Amino acid sequence: MPATNMSTLKAEAKGLNFYYGAYQALKSIDLPVAEKEITALIGPSGCGKSTFLRCFNRMHDLYPGNRYEGEINLHPDGVNILNPKIDPIEVRMRIGMVFQKPNPFPKSIYENVAYGLRVRGTTKRRVLDEKVEQALRGAALWNEVKDRLNSLAFNLSGGQQQRLCIARALATDPEIILFDEPTSALDPIATASIEELIAELKEQVTILIVTHNMQQAARVSRYTAFMHLGEVVEFGDTGAIFTNPAKKQTEDYITGRYG
Amino acid sequence: MQDKEIQTLRSMIARRKRWDVIFAIIGLFSMLGGVITLAALIAGMAMDGAPRISWDFFTSFPSRHADQAGILSAWVGTTLVMLVTAFTAVPLGVAAGIYLEEYAAKNWMTDLIEINVTNLAGVPSIVYGLLALGLFVYKLDLGQSILAAGLTLAILILPVVIVSTREAIRAIPGTIREGAFALGATKWQTVAHHVLPYSTAGILTGVIIGMSRAIGETAPIITIGALTYIAFLPESPIKGEFPFVSFEWLSSAFTVMPIQMFNWVSRPQEEFHVNAAAAGLVLIVMTLIMNAMAIFIRYHFRKRIKW
Amino acid sequence: MEPLDTHISRQYNVELENIRSLVLQMGGLVEQQIDQAITALVQGNQALAEATIVADYKVNNMEVTIDEECTQILARRQPAAGDLRLVLAVIKTITDLERIGDEAEKIARMAVQLAGEERPKNNYREIQSLGNHARWMVHDALDAYARMDTEAAVRVAREDRKLDHEYDGVMRQMVTFMMEDPRTISRVLNIIWAARAIERIGDHARNICEYVIYLVKGKDVRHISLEQMEKEAREGG
Repeated sequence: MPATNMSTLKAEAKGLNFYYGAYQALKSIDLPVAEKEITALIGPSGCGKSTFLRCFNRMHDLYPGNRYEGEINLHPDGVNILNPKIDPIEVRMRIGMVFQKPNPFPKSIYENVAYGLRVRGTTKRRVLDEKVEQALRGAALWNEVKDRLNSLAFNLSGGQQQRLCIARALATDPEIILFDEPTSALDPIATASIEELIAELKEQVTILIVTHNMQQAARVSRYTAFMHLGEVVEFGDTGAIFTNPAKKQTEDYITGRYG
Repeated sequence: MQDKEIQTLRSMIARRKRWDVIFAIIGLFSMLGGVITLAALIAGMAMDGAPRISWDFFTSFPSRHADQAGILSAWVGTTLVMLVTAFTAVPLGVAAGIYLEEYAAKNWMTDLIEINVTNLAGVPSIVYGLLALGLFVYKLDLGQSILAAGLTLAILILPVVIVSTREAIRAIPGTIREGAFALGATKWQTVAHHVLPYSTAGILTGVIIGMSRAIGETAPIITIGALTYIAFLPESPIKGEFPFVSFEWLSSAFTVMPIQMFNWVSRPQEEFHVNAAAAGLVLIVMTLIMNAMAIFIRYHFRKRIKW
Repeated sequence: MEPLDTHISRQYNVELENIRSLVLQMGGLVEQQIDQAITALVQGNQALAEATIVADYKVNNMEVTIDEECTQILARRQPAAGDLRLVLAVIKTITDLERIGDEAEKIARMAVQLAGEERPKNNYREIQSLGNHARWMVHDALDAYARMDTEAAVRVAREDRKLDHEYDGVMRQMVTFMMEDPRTISRVLNIIWAARAIERIGDHARNICEYVIYLVKGKDVRHISLEQMEKEAREGG
């Protein structure tokens, strides 16, 4: 896969196979992830894009019968995060995730953001306060919630809840944040604000985003990978993919043709 | 659309809606049948027993004279037995439920255990009584004590607690769990910070419903040999001198409300039947209070959680 | 470039096919305008020349119509890849077609002025030839567009050089005329204006060919040499 003049590599999948029991969901995937850039994964339902994303934080380890083969190397240290000797908790502490539906905990706004730090054993109120504010500012939510940090997260609107989940992921300074169709449950206005936020976040963190919405990939990402039937069909510069894709399958998908 | 077609359409809708009405009527009568029977029973008992209820009734021991007899030893016994039951069944049941739901591998063994636990909830209570008689009373030599009775009832409601714990845990969306794991939480952190707190309402509801079943159980208690005539109280659990608490009461002989009622009902004198009705009324009120607590807890916790 | 009629949305197929065929229609109209303007000039037919000037509004109207259709598609369908390139190529092509229409109108205006004047011995043979050349270029460019044929597009682009040479020849000839007989200067100037317009038509035809290559190969071949353009058009893309 030609990764033309790509900036520094943050992660790289090499020959990744993934199995749900006997079913092979991902087939020898190779994909570079550029540091502090947004890489989008697009493709029809069931193409394996979410499955692939969830390999990056070893989410599949939570369920029995799942198996990885191959590597996902995290740079600059070059650790293969799929190595069974690497604790998935270590991986998840380095790579954050934002889910399809906003999933705040039924706790206060403050506790939601602080949770990642609490898990790590941070108890100093001053450190927590500072980090929570920083993360909420980073997620463009601080001004809206600073006066009600102790009210329940469920009282926020859908878009705010999703930004809270982004703040929650940001609070622990992850190296990569994975977004799994983060706007599929939101209205267009909330979607636009999340997209804007994601675009800003790339200044500080590497982003990998799965999206159903091709225009969203076109709008926010620098690189796009088109997946089909568990394989990466085409990877390249988003601009090139959306104006002049190299593969017929890619063109058929992004122009809405029969596959 | 033509007028005629509209007419046909309307009559067709009317025809189909007739079933709504018919079912509503059948349902209403079925419901009234049940509710009225129950209300009549309670009302009958209340009319018989209510005049008998007084301060003395609660503070007197049973007596040969119906008008002097009270339920002091019975309600104290019931309370203490329930205490033992709760303190045993809740930790065991909740831990078992969490283990099965969060930790146990999902395979045929777990399925088998699940089926058995569910079935245990349907086993007749006298069977538990027999088990307890063999195990607690003789094998472990606990005698016919409050501890033995409490443990018996604990085993009786354990399946209910386990099942309701699992149901409550299952009601927590997977995305919440994944959210915690994605932040680097361990399994135990996820359980302690999320799973358990968010399922408290469901678990407590199950526990209380189990307890209100246990409070009226007679058969297993009789089986292990509870006495029907107790004219003393167990040792007080709280002492005036160090170490201020005592567990003497656990090995004390006891009686409970349903047994006291049973005893009175089986006497020939009419006055004792009135006593039984009054005790029954008190038991029903105790059950209702527990159910009210369950409803309140559920409402209170659910208010905070919207999945 | 995938076939246009394979979208899941059939209405989308219809819309894309519609703008594509409207461009061909507009091209046909423009060809006719060139033809009439040159015929009017060569034959000194003032009525035909005036009719041609008036008919330019049809070309302008078509440009507006197609532009509007393209705007609608962009707004409502958010076309991507080949579809996006088609819409962009159409928008650019109609701009050039409209300019060709304007050039034809200019030629017709010259024809009106020349109609009253004395006719040269050679009956404007050089203008006839130059005009035919340009007209065929426009025709072939539209043909390449209709068939999405990049080879043909490159051929037409190559023709533009020949047209430029031919134009240079005409200019030299006209300069000679003016030096030989200064009384012809005003008439010859009009002819020069017409020749200049024809040369511009060739440039616009070449532009259209560049859009065809962009449409089919996804490569921008503007402002590069002919040789490079041929190379790009031949490579896969």
